[in-house]
Amino acid sequence: MRSSAGLRAFVLSTVLIAAAYGAAFLPGGAPRWAPLLLATGSVGTMVSVMVMGAARPGRTLGALGPVLGAVFVLLAAAFALALLLPPETAGSALWLGLPRRAAILIYGIGLLPVVLLPVAYAATFDRVTLSDADLARFREQLAAQARESGREAERRSA
Amino acid sequence: MMPLYALLQAPDAVPPLARPVIASVAVVYFVIVIAIGAWAARRTKTASDFFIAGQGIGLWALAIAAMAATLSGFIFIGGPGLMYNVGLGALFIVLSATITNSMTAWALAKRLRLLGEARGLVTVPDAIGARYDSRAAQGIAAVAILIAVVGYMATNILALGLVVDAIFATGLVPAIWIGALIMVAYSASGGILAGIYTDLFQGMLMAVASLLVFVFALRTGGGLASMSETLLAADPAFISPWGRMTPLAAISLFFVFGLGALGQPHVVHKFYMLKDPRRLRWYPLLMTVALVVTLLLFFSVGLVSKVLVVRGVMPPLSVPDAATPTFLLQHTPLLLAAIVFSGVAAAIMSTVNSFMNIGAAALTHDLPVAFGFAVRNELRWGRIWTVVITIAAALLAQVSGTLVAFLGIFGWGLFASTFVPALAIGLNWPGATRAGAIASMATGVATTLALETLAWYKVFTFPAGVTATAVALVLALLVFFAVSWLTRRRAADEIAADVRLVMEM
Repeated sequence: MRSSAGLRAFVLSTVLIAAAYGAAFLPGGAPRWAPLLLATGSVGTMVSVMVMGAARPGRTLGALGPVLGAVFVLLAAAFALALLLPPETAGSALWLGLPRRAAILIYGIGLLPVVLLPVAYAATFDRVTLSDADLARFREQLAAQARESGREAERRSA
Repeated sequence: MMPLYALLQAPDAVPPLARPVIASVAVVYFVIVIAIGAWAARRTKTASDFFIAGQGIGLWALAIAAMAATLSGFIFIGGPGLMYNVGLGALFIVLSATITNSMTAWALAKRLRLLGEARGLVTVPDAIGARYDSRAAQGIAAVAILIAVVGYMATNILALGLVVDAIFATGLVPAIWIGALIMVAYSASGGILAGIYTDLFQGMLMAVASLLVFVFALRTGGGLASMSETLLAADPAFISPWGRMTPLAAISLFFVFGLGALGQPHVVHKFYMLKDPRRLRWYPLLMTVALVVTLLLFFSVGLVSKVLVVRGVMPPLSVPDAATPTFLLQHTPLLLAAIVFSGVAAAIMSTVNSFMNIGAAALTHDLPVAFGFAVRNELRWGRIWTVVITIAAALLAQVSGTLVAFLGIFGWGLFASTFVPALAIGLNWPGATRAGAIASMATGVATTLALETLAWYKVFTFPAGVTATAVALVLALLVFFAVSWLTRRRAADEIAADVRLVMEM
């Protein structure tokens, strides 16, 4: 998965969000599918911007790609279930102390990503984000650029 | 914030011993904050120290200070009140907290930190100016910050005044100036260095207080399952995923506060300050855990207050924002209540300090750069502008509550629509162009101001679930992509070699 895929997903998600909001202006109010579109688009923008941020030229995301894909599926599915499942009533079974749909949202979106995203960020940090070698190479290239622009300035002044 | 004030001022509302205890804890808290400020002032010798803590802070300071800057007093008072009022739907304001820190880390943290190192940047508009090689883009970003900062600071200084008055019974106007004076004393002398280390203290205070209140709330309510059963029987809509909101309105909050987190300059600005960029590895985990722990109060107090009212243990609240003070004073030990009241002040001050700093930087650094000149002594002018904008915000807070409330609505949305496309997407997409960035930022500023004003004066009413902030953010994104695509031939030429190096890292 590369940055361009993340960008395409981000643009598509933004269009979904715009469509959801646009639908709210229709006579009769927002159709039933509008919240689903907004949820999918919202999750899509967030996950795709993570892909864009993690992607680097010449490298794949490796294991991080499937993790981010799984996070998208998890979040979108949690919203879809909360929107599509029937409402609970008195006496309905509780999931970990909460009504089923509320539990899906609070545990699925409000808690589960804590053990997925920050852990994935830390676990893939050296390979995907910034290793010691990456940092050293960055600083060397930066110094080389500075030397080059210094020589260029000298040539111009001469 | 008014209910806390009203509650503490009402005769017989507070047990006789409560006020001295609350006041004593607040005095200890303010003394610690001032002591940290005095320590930081001695270490602040350059503009870099003042604006980016000399690029010398560690991971814990970064994560906890970012958490404290993210959360304002709303989390302790307004949030639980909203939860009490509309049910679980209120949680959508904070539901994305488990996602946003990792998202911000991947999209911005490393690149902002390395760009800061490469260019010696001190502000977020600096990064936009460097990315697009454009003084105009930097200037628009600075103007957006100033508009949002003054309104947001006035709102929070008024709130701080109400808290100080509630605790010390000084009267509102003196309380506003006492609060502003304490803040300006440590912010103008110690700059962001003082801000970071007071935030560290304030953030830990907020997290510990929130965790303890959560435990008391669960115990008082008889556990989560018992509270759910009570609410399912009496008011199932309250405990439904969207509460009393429409699904579109609730998910809209998730979108605006989720994606919008990428555009909050007072938070992402702190990435410049980290000493070792490799320490970012643990930033999302630390920040997310701290944030989730601190948000437990938001969730639990709103929920338990409703349960206690339904069970007849507590009379219905006259105003929803009284949920936190009422629960604390009636169901937690007095010392904990006192710590949370100081926690409210801490939440306000930690956020305002960050705004003071980026506002002063916009005036000292970004606007002069945008107009093509440099300020000679940025440290001195940073201090002067910190004092000036604090006085302006305090005057505004003192003069008109309505005006303050109106100005206060711009903050988050203005930042989101201005900075998410140009900064967060632009730093990760080489195809973004200067024209796209300028057009999207101008769209974000103009649309947010126009739509929020029309909505405030009820000239125009959005359909249920649609907000001015959301519309402005979507429009700014679409304009950014469309104009960048139309001007795509120039994209490659507009990125300086060092900026390209950062973007490819």
